[in-house]
Amino acid sequence: MSIRLAVGQGSCGIAAGAQKVANALRPLLAGSEVQLGTVGCIGMCWLEPIVDLYENDTLKARLVRVQPNHAEAIAEAAKSGDLSGIAELVIQPEDSAFLEQQTRIALRNCGIIDPESLESAKAAGAYSALGKILSTGMTPEDVIEVIKVSGLAGRGGAGFPTWFKWNAARQSAGDEKYLICNADEGDPGAFMDRAVIESDPHTLIEGMLIGAYAIGAKEAIVYVRAEYPLAIRRLENAICDAREAGYIGKNIMETDFSCEFRIKAGAGAFVCGEETALIESLEGQRGMPRLKPPFPAQSGYWNKPSNINNVETFANVAWIISNGGEAFAAMGTEDSKGTKVFALTGKIRRGGLVEIPMGMTLRQVIFEIGGGIRDGGTFKAVQMGGPSGGCIPASLLDTVIDYKKLAATGAIMGSGGMVVMDDSTCMVSMAKFFLDFTAKESCGKCVHCRIGTKRLQEILTRITEGEGQEGDIELMEELCNAVRDGALCGLGQTAPNPVLSTLRYFRDEFEAHIRDKRCPAHTCTALLHVSIDAEKCRGCTACARNCPVYAISGAVKEPHEINADACIHCGRCKAVCKFGAVIVE
Amino acid sequence: MNQIHFTINGLPCVCEAGASILQAAKLNDIEIPNLCNDESVRVYGACGLCAVEVLDDGRGKPVPKLLRACSAKVMEGYVIRFDTERVNRSRKIALELLMSDHTGDCRGPCQLNCPAGTDCQGYVKKIAGGDFRGAVGIIKEKIPLPASIGRVCPHPCEQNCRRGLVEQPLSIAFLKAHAADRDLAGETYRPEPAAETGKTVAVVGGGPAGLTAAYYLRLKGHSVTVYDAAAKMGGMLRYGIPAYRLPKDVLDREIAEIARLGVSMKNNVRIGKDITLEQLRQESDAVILAAGAWSSMQMRVPGEDLDGVTGGIQFLHDISSGEGEIPDLTGKKVAVCGGGNTAMDACRTAIRCGAETVYVIYRRTRSEMPAEEIEIEESAEEGVTYKFLTNPAEIVGENGRVKQIRLQIMELGEPDASGRRSPVPVAGAFETLDVDLVIMAIGQKPDTAGLDGVTLTKKGTVAADTATFLTNLPDVYAVGDLTNRGASIAIEAIGEAGRCAAVVDSALRGEMKPYSAPYYSQKTVTAEDLAGREKQPRCQMPVRPAAERAKDFAPVNLGLSDETAVQEAKRCLECGCHDYAECKLIRYAQQQEIHPERLRGVKHTPGQERRLVCIERDNGKCILCGLCVRICDEVAKQGILGLVGRGFPTAVKPEFQDPAAVAICRSCKKCALACPTGALKIIED
Repeated sequence: MSIRLAVGQGSCGIAAGAQKVANALRPLLAGSEVQLGTVGCIGMCWLEPIVDLYENDTLKARLVRVQPNHAEAIAEAAKSGDLSGIAELVIQPEDSAFLEQQTRIALRNCGIIDPESLESAKAAGAYSALGKILSTGMTPEDVIEVIKVSGLAGRGGAGFPTWFKWNAARQSAGDEKYLICNADEGDPGAFMDRAVIESDPHTLIEGMLIGAYAIGAKEAIVYVRAEYPLAIRRLENAICDAREAGYIGKNIMETDFSCEFRIKAGAGAFVCGEETALIESLEGQRGMPRLKPPFPAQSGYWNKPSNINNVETFANVAWIISNGGEAFAAMGTEDSKGTKVFALTGKIRRGGLVEIPMGMTLRQVIFEIGGGIRDGGTFKAVQMGGPSGGCIPASLLDTVIDYKKLAATGAIMGSGGMVVMDDSTCMVSMAKFFLDFTAKESCGKCVHCRIGTKRLQEILTRITEGEGQEGDIELMEELCNAVRDGALCGLGQTAPNPVLSTLRYFRDEFEAHIRDKRCPAHTCTALLHVSIDAEKCRGCTACARNCPVYAISGAVKEPHEINADACIHCGRCKAVCKFGAVIVE
Repeated sequence: MNQIHFTINGLPCVCEAGASILQAAKLNDIEIPNLCNDESVRVYGACGLCAVEVLDDGRGKPVPKLLRACSAKVMEGYVIRFDTERVNRSRKIALELLMSDHTGDCRGPCQLNCPAGTDCQGYVKKIAGGDFRGAVGIIKEKIPLPASIGRVCPHPCEQNCRRGLVEQPLSIAFLKAHAADRDLAGETYRPEPAAETGKTVAVVGGGPAGLTAAYYLRLKGHSVTVYDAAAKMGGMLRYGIPAYRLPKDVLDREIAEIARLGVSMKNNVRIGKDITLEQLRQESDAVILAAGAWSSMQMRVPGEDLDGVTGGIQFLHDISSGEGEIPDLTGKKVAVCGGGNTAMDACRTAIRCGAETVYVIYRRTRSEMPAEEIEIEESAEEGVTYKFLTNPAEIVGENGRVKQIRLQIMELGEPDASGRRSPVPVAGAFETLDVDLVIMAIGQKPDTAGLDGVTLTKKGTVAADTATFLTNLPDVYAVGDLTNRGASIAIEAIGEAGRCAAVVDSALRGEMKPYSAPYYSQKTVTAEDLAGREKQPRCQMPVRPAAERAKDFAPVNLGLSDETAVQEAKRCLECGCHDYAECKLIRYAQQQEIHPERLRGVKHTPGQERRLVCIERDNGKCILCGLCVRICDEVAKQGILGLVGRGFPTAVKPEFQDPAAVAICRSCKKCALACPTGALKIIED
């Protein structure tokens, strides 16, 4: 019987202390039968660090929120097989349900295999799909046909049919072609690509090799953001292992198929996630989009036919080849096939990576899988698709996850960021947050985006600061439409979405800010009025002592008062009042 | 090659396949607005101005998105438009966004404050170079009577001259008069009229407004006749302005220049009496009413109808039209009521007619007087007595003739709507002066007799549209003192007449283009901004001594020397953009109505920055089209420049902010020549 302890060490787990746990376990297990292993990220962020106990490669117990001081008990339990000493660490059934309700294809090996071991990946089936293609004589056209049948669409955000892009690149003249993986995951709140690379790099490599075979590329490049050092390290390691094993380089698996692999670390510009800007950056230029047409499939990297797909897209490819396009297409809706990974974050009880078949409703994802709003709050909206997306209000929670259905709400599928907001979120500030982001990340090339997003951000700022004017909403709408129609690339064209969708569903909040100088969510400090309820105040002086600007006065055991002119609306008085006497409105 | 057929804005076009829409348009002599495109470098697509709408893709379907003409290829059967509402809206907001981040003066504050929009900076620069004829060429684009106007204009241009923030404004009006005098004396600037159009225009009134309208319409090739009730042309310039300010021979020569173009001039013709408006309308394709405002306003005090009470304009007119017969006022006491320029002309004229005492009765104080400071000064030198804070209460007569004027003593109260402190009577305080003549110079109004069927305003002026200058009659236009708000300064009338001429010309050519004020970028400059400037005092106009000049009507001013004029012209700070004439941005911005102020926000910091040897960059005017960067890289093969930063603050700087990059600049100037705005300036050392 083999016993193995696998410590989840994606960046998230490490940040939560997983490495310290592993370091604590290592000496305790030395010389014992119990093996200590590394796995990637299982996607249960709220439970990190996570240690899985395997018995004969079967998960016996999942231990959560493990700290180094639990190491002894865990080591003891692993050695003895008696888990009673660590019962409190074992995951609760309702937390396990988070995974049980998912259907994992792109994430199939994440958190299960050792991302630094080719053997571990192969045991889970890595390179068998490539082997199937090369050994059964599938032509590139056959491969494209399977992908076409599967209905796989670009998971990076645009949702363009993958087979179509592959076919276009395949059809383009010339024998120098490039296959590029876009791992420049830049949406705030999205981290599925990082998880895939850190947890299962061979699945990405295999998907890319299949893509390279399909379009006829002899070189594959992963453009990954430099802020993902662990992902880069594990991918480099995986490329080396794969090359040594004959999966990369000349005559792959002893066939005529050859493909080189390399990594390009990007310097962290959001716009480089836009495919033509990514190509500019790859060529060593400033990351600025090119005009389309020509499309990269005709003229991309070094003006050669190039195909660019996102990490998650590639992560599905090997599974589709192994299981058939029909199996993938059997999942999902009429319009959207297969599964989609979401990064569930925000005011959610169980935040993490969720992979579900298309066609589930938002309510199922947020409430059944994610467990609803944490800390007893009320659901207000979910932002889908990051800065390019939009928000979806409670009234539309039964919207089915499907490219068209989501687009109809004004949001987008996007790369899968799902930021859940409760009633303490001000939607004007939320829109401002995203415009701050896009205005800063605009490459500065086209007028509409460079100046238009800046002006939108300035208008939103003045609204949140109580300086909003009558007509601002209409002006923003006009600007939004102009930027959407006039901007050069996807970043600019979609930058107004957070404003347009919040205006669509939460117009009254904008009006309250502008007309009544009131922030309904009580978060725009410039619009807050703080006062003390004399009935409830016991004169304990806690508020006065904690006020950073000495704006509160009053005698001991007498009701206190706030000098509105001096008050900076920091809310500290409310936080320290034990009697609920501080009113913020 | 494969020829393809398509239309742009409805015009059928042909070109070879493979061209972009922008190239295809150019091959067919159609300019689609664009700022970042240049054929010598690769397509860039930043400005968004070249957006076009394809209403039919050749297969009966519209292209849903707007296309960038610079990158989209033209296809067989395309129906392309760049004048649709959608395209105009897109271009408008692109221009508004660009202008919201633009800091600069398209034109100098002098020009913007000139009611006729005269390019003061332009002609002053010509004068600084000693090119007086060239200067007149520029002036005559707006003012056909520069020698006259240069002498009489209260020069609003000088009011806003930024040299005033350093020490004193430029003497712009006198420079104009000097250039025009030199031009008239030498080889005179004489533009030729365009080919005859066969259209006829009748102008009623031969004053500054009428002559201006006639001049510009004649230059456009129309047949123009000016009718005037007086014996000679010139209107107020001749009959309202005394000869010591504007010698009549100067006016005569300038009017002769207008006549030389072929403008027909008919004097002693009064509308309604010698010819009817209806007749003029029948004989002409358009009629322009520019008859001025010749009736003095009444003071509404007892005794106004006594003998010896006259209006300021009547007084001046009677003397001017007397053809040398100057009334003898020797030993007489004259009271001139009013504080404007007509009052000044009247009081100084009275002095010249020998009056013993001339009072100016003005209800406020000197600092509130609307008259020009120099006039007040010079009249005082000539012996005029000022009675400030007095107001006529009654004109006392004896045997039907003026004997005395009783004045109510005033004091200054609260400021009124004009911002001036309003005069308030001091109860019971009066003063009585013995006078022989009372001249009322408190304003003029038009005499509209004979203008049958023309709608008037409540003030009794002719109602004219401010954009089309049309009266209620479809072919009758009206400008100048006759219209709307009434009498004003000559340059106002000239400005209006010039704009009206353009409207009438467009109407005569079949498509009326109403006037709309062009958009100009303007910036604020304070004295601190100019603190480093060397002080150079304003030139002084030499004048005859007061004792001498008070006796005759010969010119007070003796004129500038060439040397003084050139030196004065060199004081110009050249506030207006050096690249205005070439600037594509302003050209497009003026093609439609834009309101960048609604998008105001942070801007790039303006200021001259000189990193390359011969190129000065102003980030306040840079539109980040990247042409300089791309030309330096792709054409000059230097690659010195780069875009630095992201988002809104992006700026063009030496590549990688490397100062050493600058060292390889060969001063080819290709960047500055390609710049579509005035952001780059070539410095010739």
